[in-house]
Amino acid sequence: MTNGPFVRVTGTLLLTAFLLLSLGVAIQGTFETRSSISNTFARQSQIQQAQIDLEELLRLQIDEENSLRGYLLTRDPFYKSEYRSASAGYDAKESAIHATLQERQLTGAGQLLGDYANLQREWRSSVAVPLFAHPRVRLEELDKRNKLFSDYETMTVAAIRRALAQTGDDLARSTQDELDRSSYARASWVLVFGLLAIVFNAYRSQLNRELEEERSFTRILQRAFRSESTPLPNCDIGSAYLSATSHLAVGGDVFDIYRLSEDRALLLIADISGKGVDAAVLTAFVKFMVRAIALRDSAPAAILAEFNVVLSKAVEDPYLFASMFVGLLDTNRFGLTYASAGHDAIFVRRPEGVIALDVTGPVLGVMDEPFESRTFDLRPGDTLVLATDGLTEVRNRAGEQLGDKGAMEAIAQGGTEAQTLADDLVKKVRERGGSRVRDDLAVLAIRVLRTGSNDA
Amino acid sequence: MTRKALLILAGCMIALTARAVADCRAHRGEHVVLYSTTDDPSVLMWDSRARLRAYHAASFDVAQALLPHALLVAPGTHADVISCIADYVTSPLFTGPESAVGVIVTSGPSRGAARWVLGSDVRMFKKR
Repeated sequence: MTNGPFVRVTGTLLLTAFLLLSLGVAIQGTFETRSSISNTFARQSQIQQAQIDLEELLRLQIDEENSLRGYLLTRDPFYKSEYRSASAGYDAKESAIHATLQERQLTGAGQLLGDYANLQREWRSSVAVPLFAHPRVRLEELDKRNKLFSDYETMTVAAIRRALAQTGDDLARSTQDELDRSSYARASWVLVFGLLAIVFNAYRSQLNRELEEERSFTRILQRAFRSESTPLPNCDIGSAYLSATSHLAVGGDVFDIYRLSEDRALLLIADISGKGVDAAVLTAFVKFMVRAIALRDSAPAAILAEFNVVLSKAVEDPYLFASMFVGLLDTNRFGLTYASAGHDAIFVRRPEGVIALDVTGPVLGVMDEPFESRTFDLRPGDTLVLATDGLTEVRNRAGEQLGDKGAMEAIAQGGTEAQTLADDLVKKVRERGGSRVRDDLAVLAIRVLRTGSNDA
Repeated sequence: MTRKALLILAGCMIALTARAVADCRAHRGEHVVLYSTTDDPSVLMWDSRARLRAYHAASFDVAQALLPHALLVAPGTHADVISCIADYVTSPLFTGPESAVGVIVTSGPSRGAARWVLGSDVRMFKKR
């Protein structure tokens, strides 16, 4: 029991946040890597396409020159049309490669390709066109020019090839680097994520163990301090207790029947704010303190008033408050004198119906207001039902509380025997609340069997 | 002192010449065949090695202006090597420097012409 609730919740939230963050970063990293590698592959693919296009361009250029040579040798007009077809194909292909190089920002290769295209155009105007026009006149100067163009084009194409190959190599290297980085990053994240998961799991296990220990300890305390059915003369007594949902710590409901004298008994039921060990210990304090006060004071209002003073002095918790019902029962004539400090789940079942007893003052620990005592005469056959707000505030699936009316109906329909009635009320709460029972429930039922002389 | 300097200078020149000869594509006295690239195998022969170098290093326009100083011979023209300078010709478009080879044409219409050609345009035929 080393961690308080705040530390537990904060620790759990922090670890969960770390886990989610790690997971988020790992997923984001994976997507980024995928996108980056996909881009690189797309670029590589475009470079390869540019290389293929370049070879096609060369083939078209050679077709142009061969068409010229064919025409010069044969004067066959077929070669002229072949030349024009090759020229058109060359221009279209050159534009396509240029666009690809620009898109891929391969400025060096793009510049070389531009030079190459200019050379080809100049070759057409200064070599091909004159030779087509005068095929019989073979001037040496024109032949030299042809050679010049050929040399430069060959060298330019070689340079473009090298530039494209270099870019392809760079991209392949970059892809490999990206894959390496991604592998290392993912391995790191898996390691971090795994370690966090181990820490998280260990932390959760520790919290669960602590909670279970505390819960077990609290139950032991409550079993020790909570009164079971103390026999009273001429009465049938039943009691039941329902713990709230299992993951919550045990709460601070307490009830007690204590015989103050031969014909006088103290009836107590209270709901103390808070849960866990503190609330369990407080129930013991409440029980024995009220007993002690009741031994001196004869009026329930005085008991509540005095206890209110004691509570505020003994417990330095500004947020602690308690609702409490104190009744003094004459076990001979069954006159009930009671006072209720904000505790509103007190009912009397009679053959003709169920009556709710009024609240006679504010809850304890909140303000220093006077309490009022009232009396109620019980008759044989009446059953006094003392319950905590776990009965009236239990909610159904739609979120609706049972309320006083529902509680009174449940009491009216409950078993005749006091214990059966208490058990029926717990069953009713279980059925209505299901897994949503958020508050503990304590029920104490006292059925008047007969009036008469004290036979205790 | 002056003699010593001259000796050193001569040694350096011999060393440089020896290196040039060792790395050169062709050697004096070799009989070669001229053949350029597959795209256009005819060979340009230059009246000076400086123009040979300038042709390959210059821009297209400058190279075009130099053409009157060149002789175009058909592929397969025979020639004899009379000189070779290693790594003499460079071009931004070459992968590495090329040799400049001085030859005398021994066949074809330009027989007897002495010119400079690019090392890669020279193919070994046989030794005399």
